Amino acid sequence: MALSVKNIVPYLHISQNRSSRVFSYIGLGIGVLLLLCSVQMYININELIHDKNPRKNGFDYISVTKTITNENMGGDNRFSAEDVAELKTAPGILDAAPLVSNQFRVKASAGNIIPFSTDLFLESVQNDFIDTVPQNFSWQPGQLDVPIIFSADFLEMYNVFAPAQDLPQLSQSSISAVNIILECYGANGVKADYRGRIVAVSDRINSVLVPENFLQWANKSFGMGPQATAARVYIKTVDANNANLLSFLEKKNYHVNKDKTKFGRVKQILQGIVSGLGGFALLVILLAMMLFSFYLQLMIARSKDNLQLLLTLGYSPGWLSKTVARKWLPVYIGIVLIALSATQILQYIFQQRFMAARDELSPFLHPVVLGVAAILLVLCVMVNYRLIKKLLYKL
Amino acid sequence: MTQIHLQQVAPVFLEAEKLANSQLWKQSLSFAKGGRIQIVAPSGSGKTSLIHFLYGMRKDYSGTIQFDQQKMSDVDAEEMAVIRSSQLSIIFQDLRLFPDHSAAENISIKRLLAPYHKEPKIEEMARHLGIHSKLGQLAKTCSYGEQQRVAIIRALQQPFDFLILDEPFSHLDERNRQKAMELIEAEASDRKAAIILADLKPIEYFKADQLYKL
Repeated sequence: MALSVKNIVPYLHISQNRSSRVFSYIGLGIGVLLLLCSVQMYININELIHDKNPRKNGFDYISVTKTITNENMGGDNRFSAEDVAELKTAPGILDAAPLVSNQFRVKASAGNIIPFSTDLFLESVQNDFIDTVPQNFSWQPGQLDVPIIFSADFLEMYNVFAPAQDLPQLSQSSISAVNIILECYGANGVKADYRGRIVAVSDRINSVLVPENFLQWANKSFGMGPQATAARVYIKTVDANNANLLSFLEKKNYHVNKDKTKFGRVKQILQGIVSGLGGFALLVILLAMMLFSFYLQLMIARSKDNLQLLLTLGYSPGWLSKTVARKWLPVYIGIVLIALSATQILQYIFQQRFMAARDELSPFLHPVVLGVAAILLVLCVMVNYRLIKKLLYKL
Repeated sequence: MTQIHLQQVAPVFLEAEKLANSQLWKQSLSFAKGGRIQIVAPSGSGKTSLIHFLYGMRKDYSGTIQFDQQKMSDVDAEEMAVIRSSQLSIIFQDLRLFPDHSAAENISIKRLLAPYHKEPKIEEMARHLGIHSKLGQLAKTCSYGEQQRVAIIRALQQPFDFLILDEPFSHLDERNRQKAMELIEAEASDRKAAIILADLKPIEYFKADQLYKL
C-alpha cells in the first residue's frame, strides 16, 4: 500500500475547531462567488454597452466646439491652427482633426425625381476620422463627380420632414442612387456644377463630407475669404471619459457632445460599481483565507507532538506539507465548483429573464471567469501549502 | 563503505572532568557498517545526547560527526529525512510512540515510509517478542515493557546501515531481552548493518567488536 494522505490524517487533529473551519469554507465560497459574479458582470456590461459607443478600432472620436456664450457670441469662435496643435498634445488625446468647411456658396438640388433645392454646407476631415470610408471616396482635379459622406442623423431628419413636403423617404442603401447637383458659386458670378453622389452614411460625423482635396481646391477656386479655419475639431481618444481630458476641455471652455459619451459614462459607472464589488469580494476571500490559516495554525499546534514524531521517524517535511495541504484540495475544488455553478445559474437567469433580446450576451460563463476560478483555486492551494510548510519547518 | 566518523566530538554542556575520562568524547573514531559497537555509560555522562547527535536531532556539540563524508551539522531537514528513512534507524530510551494509536499503527507508520518487510512480518516479530495479542491495543495502555518491544519492532521495519539503540531493553526481563537481541541481531545481519548500542552496563549477549566507556 502506497503512503498517502489517508495514512497521515489520523495523526492530525483536523476535527478540532470545526466551526472556524466551516465558517472559513462559507466565507471563501461567498467571496469566490462574489468575485466570479463581478468578473462576469464586468464582461456583460462591456459586451452590452460596447456597440452603443461610436468606436473605430477601439478609439473614441468626439466632436469638440468652442462653447458659445453671451459674451463671445459676436466673435470668431473657430479653431485656429494653434488651437488644433494644442489639442493634439492635450492629455488623453491621440490625434485631432479640424472639420474644414466651404468658403463659398453651395446649392444642392436633386433633379426632377426629388424636386427640392437647398443651400448646403460642405465639410472635410482626415479620412481616418470617418467611420465609413469607401474606396471611391476620392476626387481628382477635373472630375465632375464628387463623392459625399452623409450624416445618418441628417438622413433621419430628411425622412422626418420628407412626407410633409411630398418628397419620397429614402433608405441608407437607396440614397446612393440619388443624383445631387452641387452648384458652386464663386466671386464675380462664377458658377460651376458638380454631380454629388452619396457613397456612405456616417453615424459619427454630423456633416456633409466631401474629400479633403476637393474642398481645398474648391475653397481656392471659389472661396472669397482668407485661409479656411474650422468651427469643429474631432479628437481621437482611447477613453472619452478620461478625467484629465474632460478637465482640459472644460478649462479651455470647449464643448463636447455629451450624448456621444453617455454610454461610456454609464458603462464607466457600472464597471466602477462592479469593480468595487470585486474588490469587496477579494477582501472577503482574504478574510476567509486568514480564518482558515488560523485554523491550520491551531491544528498544527495541536498535532505538534505527532508531527514532530513523524519528522523524527524520517518523514520529510516537504512531503508532509504537500500531503497535509492536499487534504484540503477536494474542499477547495468543491467550493470553487459550487461558486462557478452558482455564477452560471445567475448568468443564465440574468440573460434569459432580463436580456433575452440581446443576442450579444451569452447565457454561459465567459472563459475569463473560468480562468479566474482556476487562478483562485491554484492561489488557495499554494497559500495553504506554503503556510503548512512554514509551520512544519518551524517544528 | 558507509561510516560514521566522530572527530573530537564533545557536548558543549558537559563538564571537562567527564570529557577527560571518556573513551569517546574528544576522540577520533569511526563506526563502520556491519560493526557491533557497545557504548557503556553511567547516568549523566551524555549517553542519550550522543545518540541524539548521531541521529542528527541535536547540534549542541563541538567537533564534527561525519556520515558518509557529509557533516551531520550541514545536513538539511529534507536530506535528514532521507537518511533516517533509509540508512539510520533508532530505538529511543523514551520510546517515542504515538500514545493514541495502536501498537500495530505505531509499527505500520514506520513500515509505510520505507518498507523493508511485507506486512505479515509485523505479526511474526510481535509473536516472537510475545506482544502479538497487544497489536490492536492503544500504545498508551500497553505496559512499558510492551511499548519497548513495539519500539524495537518499529525500528526494524525500514532499511538501515546503522541501528542505534539507547537502553533498548531497560524494561524487559532476561528472557525477553535475549529474544529481542536475537531479533535485532538477525535483522541487522540481514541488512549487513552496524548496531550501536548504548546502555548503563555491558550487555553480555551482545557480541560487540568495539567497546567504549563514555
